[in-house]
Amino acid sequence: MILWAMPDSGDQTKEDYATWVALFKQENPTVDLTVRVFTRNILWRRIFTLKGPMHGEEMPDLIQIPHYWTALLVKAGVAENLSQLDPGLSLASCLLPLKENCYQPGTKDLYSYPWWFDLSALHYRADHLKMVTDHPEEDLKTWQGLLSICAALREKFRDVPGYYPMQNSDWRGSLSMRSALPCVWSRGISFFTEDRASSLIGTSGFKEALRDYVNLALHDYMPILRERGSLGTMVSGKASMMISRKQGISTFGARRGGRVRTVPVPATGEKSCAYLSGMNLFINAASQHKQDALKFIKFCARPDMQLRYANMVEAFPAFEEPFEQFIASSSRLPIYKGILSSARTLPNMVIMGTVMEILKRVLAVCAEQIVENRFTQASLDRELEMTAKEIDYLLSIYKG
Amino acid sequence: MFDKKSYTLYKFHKQINQSFQNKRELLECALPALRDLFKLDRVYFFNWQQEWALLSLKMMCKKEYCMDMQEDISVANEPAFLRQLLQTGIAETTDLSYPALYVLIRWKRPSVELKSGEIRSVLREKVGVLRLERFRKNRVFTPAEIDLIKDLGKEISHNLYNTEIDQIKNQRLSMSTALNDLSTIFASSLRLNDGLELILKGVQRFFQFDRVHLYLTNSEGTRIKSVWGVDISGTVTQESGSSLGEEEKQILKEVFESSATYRARRSIVYIPLKLQRSKVGFLTFDNILSRRKIGYLDFISLQQFASQMALSIDNARLFERVQELSNYDELTKLPVRRYFNEKFAEEIYRSKRFGLSLSLIIMDIDWFKQINDNHGHQIGDWALKSVSKIIRSCLRQTDVPCRFGGDEMVIMLPRTNSEEAKIIARRLKERIHAITLPDRDALEPVHLSISQGIATFPSDGATVEALLEKADKALYVVKQRGRGDFAVYREVLDQLQPEPEEQPAVADKPKDAQEDKQLP
Repeated sequence: MILWAMPDSGDQTKEDYATWVALFKQENPTVDLTVRVFTRNILWRRIFTLKGPMHGEEMPDLIQIPHYWTALLVKAGVAENLSQLDPGLSLASCLLPLKENCYQPGTKDLYSYPWWFDLSALHYRADHLKMVTDHPEEDLKTWQGLLSICAALREKFRDVPGYYPMQNSDWRGSLSMRSALPCVWSRGISFFTEDRASSLIGTSGFKEALRDYVNLALHDYMPILRERGSLGTMVSGKASMMISRKQGISTFGARRGGRVRTVPVPATGEKSCAYLSGMNLFINAASQHKQDALKFIKFCARPDMQLRYANMVEAFPAFEEPFEQFIASSSRLPIYKGILSSARTLPNMVIMGTVMEILKRVLAVCAEQIVENRFTQASLDRELEMTAKEIDYLLSIYKG
Repeated sequence: MFDKKSYTLYKFHKQINQSFQNKRELLECALPALRDLFKLDRVYFFNWQQEWALLSLKMMCKKEYCMDMQEDISVANEPAFLRQLLQTGIAETTDLSYPALYVLIRWKRPSVELKSGEIRSVLREKVGVLRLERFRKNRVFTPAEIDLIKDLGKEISHNLYNTEIDQIKNQRLSMSTALNDLSTIFASSLRLNDGLELILKGVQRFFQFDRVHLYLTNSEGTRIKSVWGVDISGTVTQESGSSLGEEEKQILKEVFESSATYRARRSIVYIPLKLQRSKVGFLTFDNILSRRKIGYLDFISLQQFASQMALSIDNARLFERVQELSNYDELTKLPVRRYFNEKFAEEIYRSKRFGLSLSLIIMDIDWFKQINDNHGHQIGDWALKSVSKIIRSCLRQTDVPCRFGGDEMVIMLPRTNSEEAKIIARRLKERIHAITLPDRDALEPVHLSISQGIATFPSDGATVEALLEKADKALYVVKQRGRGDFAVYREVLDQLQPEPEEQPAVADKPKDAQEDKQLP
């Protein structure tokens, strides 16, 4: 059986998967499990080739995906109907916000199963912020407050070469839509109209929300297109804050760097909003090892294993009981209960993955323009207007 | 005798000089080889997007394995580093606190250029960068090592080029085989609809497009007649063409004027299907949902395939036209008796198997001979055309009308009992009676009328001969009663005289001379 997975633990991914496979094989010695690790980019391309593999091409039985790809995989006919495979499979104890993205839209048929999830938050070095404010948590409630602190930190650390107030948590070192999402939702803006018939990406609210996020790079508070880890990291003392998922803290080794505290992402609008990103597993409809794949899904969903894997990859268990245990395991974690209550996730729509790909390209162009001092707000606005039209066209083709 | 450097080069050459499926496989072999040779902690491979001065990390190799990676690093603001790397092909890092060396890798990759609609294959230079790191013991790279690394970089460049060429050759071979298979299937299928479904599904599956559409146009290429499509789930749809707006007409014109067109950042391809004498339609392939660019190899293969497809569609259309001509009566556009008999055999089999009823209506135009004699054959033909037009419009898609000969017509009504057949007969009677002959000399309007006899399977017989005979007997009763009406065989049994001897089969029966004597 072959599992296509994403690099959940950065450089440690291979080692972590080796451990995980060993644990699974202890209980299922007859099941042969091989893990192939692909970046999200590669995985995105490859899921479209599942239906027509080339002669001799190795095909997976089980695939890890971002939760919002489920509807697409159902539409493409590559995901196995898990409810049919095992009618006993249930999401009863799964955390509520993760449920919608497991079903075929509009039905109660399960096509992917939650593995783990993460939440975006603002992480800061208490020792650094103490130098510029007596009330960091209060100041960091709003985006304006965040920018003011960035300005103060920039001034405070002006003699430290390579220092940036914010560390860039984007995996590619670019501008990331996932980091920008809290800015969008905090302003009360959505991606689509309520009936999901057209896009709101070209609206002024959406443009302003992206501007909030882009400002971090534009004002040189956050490095972009620089080598990850080469400068501006919290652990080296060359950065003081970072908006990232919980995993980001471990990926960049920031926990070791001092007293890192976590607060909700500062609000650009009326209230703070976090991005909840889930990781699901689905079974390839063409797999010859569906029962073994189902065993692996059930193994990963077991409360003890949920807790274990969440600890391993520094994310959260997707089910209620292990989540509660996980939160209670450290004094640093209860803050996430509040963050979870204000979290939003991407809708379960066929085109959602494509929309994120398009926006990723828009932000990549934007990042290049900033680095080359060519960026103008008008150019970003124009890109977003064109994107909105493109997405409206996609909506007209791929409904639901 | 080899010196140490030559021997190292030779060993490295032997290690990576294999036939790799793709660039990834080659790097999975070359990066660990470099790591082991220079005792490196990590080796990275970047693609260099020159226009943006951007290094895009693709692969990382550390202790025991290689892994795909994703990271973009701008070097636009590091002119000294850039200059050194471009001029010497090697540069030491300016960013990191430990020894790291960047090595430029250049190789040629077959690519495509589009100039005024023409496609040209060219060799485009690709640039990659290797980064070799030693961060554990901060061991610097010696000049001899740097010199050797440069040479090994060239070896990798050479192998990247070979791999690209091999990959393209393999792809082309496999594409040619697949397209040949598809073309053979299509060419051997003279039924257009069956062939199109097969071919579109095959193309989508092989090239892994999100969607494939075929627009069939008229021979001038100004109107879309029908659209076939395969969506991302592999479902085939067919829609009839609709009238085009000005913008769409313009697109159509552009498509036919070019040989092939890329659109939307190479995620859509339009390819016209045209022959020397006419236009057939055009194909569109899109990856709008997946955002994957359509490669130039696919582009070129699809073009070649399109010309074969245009020819095959044209052939299939001609075949269908010939079929149509041989199966349909030219005057009335109704099927002829041979076609009717084939369809009847299929339907009666189905009716027997599933216990379904089936009715036949036999009809003729009242006083048809007199119409011809009194108003001329042109008017007679007009009457036949008008009646058949009404018949075609009154029936369901599954019903099969047929011109049996002269003014005699038969309608097969599958899944229809005698009561339902009467409804249809009544409708035909009323609508046909509304027709008046277009004779300006006539003193008053002459209305057409028909007489109809109905027989039903299974009660009246189980063969076409038996049913036609019973229906004809019912028709006879109608005529005896004065024409312009219909009758069901079972309901008029008492009005039929017992048969003294076997009647000739209806198909051979001469038309009753009395029937067409005169208009009332």
